[in-house]
Amino acid sequence: MSTISPQRKSGQRKSAQKPEGTAPEARRSRRVWGRPDLYTSYRQDMAMLNTRPKQLGVLAIVVLAALLPLTTSDDLLKILGTGLVLAIGAIGLNLLVGYAGQVSLGHAFFVGVGAYAASAIAGDPEGRYIGFGIDVVPVWILGGGIAAALAGALVAPIATRLRGLYLAIVTLGLVVIGGYIFTEWRDLSGGAQVGREAPQPVILGSDLTRDGAFTQEQKLYWLFLVVLIISAVLARNVARSRIGRALAAVRDRDVAAGVMGVELGKYKLIAFVLSSFFAGVCGSLLFVANGVFGPERFTLLLSVQFIAMVLIGGVATISGSIMGAMLIALLPRISAELPSFLPFITSAANEHPNIFEVEIALYGALIVMFLLFEPRGLFGIWVRIRTYWKSFPFSY
Amino acid sequence: MTALETAPAAVHVDDTIVTRVRDRAARSPHGIAMRRKDYGVWQEITWAEYWGLVVTVGHGLLALGVEPGDRVSIQSENRPEWLILDLATVAVRGTTVGLYPTNPAAEVGYLLGHSGAKVHLAEDQEQLDKALDVADQTPDLQHLIHVEPRGIVGRYDEPRLRSWTHLLELGAEHRAAHPGAVEALIEQAQPDDVMTLVYTSGTTGPPKGAMLTFANCAFAMHTVFDRNSFVDPAPGEDDLTLSYLPLCHVAERFFSTWFNAGAGVQTNFAESIDTVPANLREIQPTLFFAVPRIWEKLLATARIKLDSATRVKRAYARFWMKQADHIGAVLVENGGSHTVGTRIRYAIGWPLFFRALQSRLGLRRVRYASSGAAPIAPDVLRFFMGIGVKVHEVYGMTENTAVATANRPGRVKLGTVGEPLEGAEVRLDDQTGEVLTRHAGNFAGYWRNPEATAQAVDADGWLHTGDVGTWVDGTHLAITDRMKDIIITSGGKNVSPSEIENALKASPFVKEAVVVGDGRKYLAALIGIELDTVGEWAQRRGLGFTTYHDLSRKPEVLELVQGVVKEVNAQFSSVEQLKDFRLLPKELDHEDGELTATQKVKRSAINQIFGELIAEMYTTGGAS
Repeated sequence: MSTISPQRKSGQRKSAQKPEGTAPEARRSRRVWGRPDLYTSYRQDMAMLNTRPKQLGVLAIVVLAALLPLTTSDDLLKILGTGLVLAIGAIGLNLLVGYAGQVSLGHAFFVGVGAYAASAIAGDPEGRYIGFGIDVVPVWILGGGIAAALAGALVAPIATRLRGLYLAIVTLGLVVIGGYIFTEWRDLSGGAQVGREAPQPVILGSDLTRDGAFTQEQKLYWLFLVVLIISAVLARNVARSRIGRALAAVRDRDVAAGVMGVELGKYKLIAFVLSSFFAGVCGSLLFVANGVFGPERFTLLLSVQFIAMVLIGGVATISGSIMGAMLIALLPRISAELPSFLPFITSAANEHPNIFEVEIALYGALIVMFLLFEPRGLFGIWVRIRTYWKSFPFSY
Repeated sequence: MTALETAPAAVHVDDTIVTRVRDRAARSPHGIAMRRKDYGVWQEITWAEYWGLVVTVGHGLLALGVEPGDRVSIQSENRPEWLILDLATVAVRGTTVGLYPTNPAAEVGYLLGHSGAKVHLAEDQEQLDKALDVADQTPDLQHLIHVEPRGIVGRYDEPRLRSWTHLLELGAEHRAAHPGAVEALIEQAQPDDVMTLVYTSGTTGPPKGAMLTFANCAFAMHTVFDRNSFVDPAPGEDDLTLSYLPLCHVAERFFSTWFNAGAGVQTNFAESIDTVPANLREIQPTLFFAVPRIWEKLLATARIKLDSATRVKRAYARFWMKQADHIGAVLVENGGSHTVGTRIRYAIGWPLFFRALQSRLGLRRVRYASSGAAPIAPDVLRFFMGIGVKVHEVYGMTENTAVATANRPGRVKLGTVGEPLEGAEVRLDDQTGEVLTRHAGNFAGYWRNPEATAQAVDADGWLHTGDVGTWVDGTHLAITDRMKDIIITSGGKNVSPSEIENALKASPFVKEAVVVGDGRKYLAALIGIELDTVGEWAQRRGLGFTTYHDLSRKPEVLELVQGVVKEVNAQFSSVEQLKDFRLLPKELDHEDGELTATQKVKRSAINQIFGELIAEMYTTGGAS
């Protein structure tokens, strides 16, 4: 390492300390026009949207996503809305599985905790089930997240002792235990086949589940979109920060990470807590559109769906999680459209092969195909396209 | 900028590289003076910081006992410290001596001893060891400064050694005790103060130290920045350059230090010569100077990368490269100006292809590019013209402060070094055809070598460059060769080897070519292959090889080079054709004495080292 001036030596990490007569901080980290690869500070290099095309691209996608409800039919919008909510949960799982490398099959459990916590917070105190009557939307969303995060914190210590397959089995146990508790704690959940009502999304006195100037689906879609954007930005910031780098170190080799000074216990705890928080937020919103949900929703199948979203979307990417969730959410719709293209597939449940079977088969096929041919998922496909043009007219 | 015409008459000079930095620091303190890459990020240094460091280091030098006229030597890769110490030395009226980082210990001993340097900056342990190895040849050396602490701190028992940081502390103390001492010395500067000794590489004999004065430098800066508008607008604070050639060479000193100090151009230091392509892409300089070797390398890289692209990209690139060939050829005919046809072709090709290609090469923002310090093959220039990067060949040498002739935008003649610059007198010797120049940039003489000085500059003030030239169309100067390199065959024909050599080197597969044949029946050549490209070529056809030596012995490679030679022979008359060639068994190297520090071939050394190989070509008879 070399230093130009003695002042610089201590100023390496924090660029705040500068030789006298230097311009204010804002001036120092200005980008040089027309040179996308020239970074004059780490802040620029690490920036969430570090290039102009990225900034414009993301802006365009957000605008398109926000305008989509105006042109899309309500039934499709409902599916897309569910996809947005699932994306929040997928982001959470991706933080844990993708960034921190901790395999978890217990995501459904944390989603369940979030769903019940939110319902309980917003629930009617006079009703049949536990309820606290706080129907402020951000409160029960956050409440769901925090309750799940607490549950995650309880589980995390196990993860510090186990890894790989063993951790997967333990988290699988979590789903089983969770399923039992949810079913039996009838004051909270209403019990099997009965269920309880989801929280009412009432914002500024208007109930989003009632049609008004905009339909229920449109309003809910916008609510979900806002929460998803907040979650995605949050997760992206975690991923590109010190925590994110520590998690990646743990994933790549936990022993090596430990030697480098990453506190394994602490960061695995952080990974579980963060992941569970997003799962809880997802759970709090997941059934808002349907209104009622039962404990049978939080089974291994849901966990596997989340894993599928992460694998298909792209491991260790936020945008990949969103892409994966949208694809999985659209899968029933896609298989429902199939009979019109492939006549041998039927939409009748008592004939074979029917669309429900195809849907299940598609999950499996997609996971296998992606793992075999594009392990980096949908995001990997995008990276491939981007690299093709980025290196144009060369190939590398 | 102040006009120079009024300056020389004054007793002191008020327009030097030092005063220009001082004034710029006062005018735009937060502007960027330079960047260097550290830990993957381009760290910026503002004018105010730069000037502060120059003054502090100047005080440090005073504290070390440097007096006006003392020599301070620097052996380092390009980095901000080089510029800072250079300016600080000049500020306290000392003389800077630059050493090539590749100079081996023996040459370091000669240079330090001959220049009598009092203070020597050795960048790192490697350079420090060189200087310490030859301590017996450097009686005048009183202080050693190192920049990189690795491997040095706590390991050397050397009382003269101190770190750069320590020098700064020393300077800060001295500054507190004697405020204004450096500023006072700046005011006392005289036009004939020697600001730097530039040691010429010396293909024959030991290097000679050319003395350049404030007046020389002021003339050069004035000529290039103010009088001759190469680019419009003139170089300024919005321009970026990449500094990567050795700073002790006059061309890079001019282009990095003087462009930076004189015109306020932002200097960016490449991490090393190997990272130049990557750094170019990041920096995208607006002004770019390169030696032919670098242009050849860029060309080879572009060709190879285009050829190894995917099928679709390759076909696409082939189409556009055909257009580029056409554009290049037309531009060459028109002196670098577009015709309507080429302008349309280029305008269509730019968004579809050329823009991306330029970006990948790091040349997209280049508004003025030049090549100098050695002759360049016209094919290389034509290629770059075709893809929209107009490279201008310029000519100058250490002894005339790099000011002589240049190809101007729009008036380019390929194969020439351009027209004399305004303010520079250039003529050819009536008998020998030697190029002579005369202007205020002519150096003050060789350091401690009056005989060589007398040989170089005649009584009328004409500098004898040692190059043979001819006028093309009465306006443009073409350099035939170095006078002493001209080959006279036994048949009495005068042949310029460098033309043939450059034609060979235009092939991406040829790195070195040395034409021999002085006093022989015919010409022959020693050819060194380019390891990267030939290696890639061999790999693509499944040809296994281990080392350079192994690769150069492959019959397939021999055949490949044979093809290149045949193509080149077709361009020349029969006396100038190569009748035979041999591949060099090793890469030529500075350390082994085959190249000078500027990578020029030392012919005498080659004749000696590869004498057998040469003799072989003349005993077996013309095989090709």
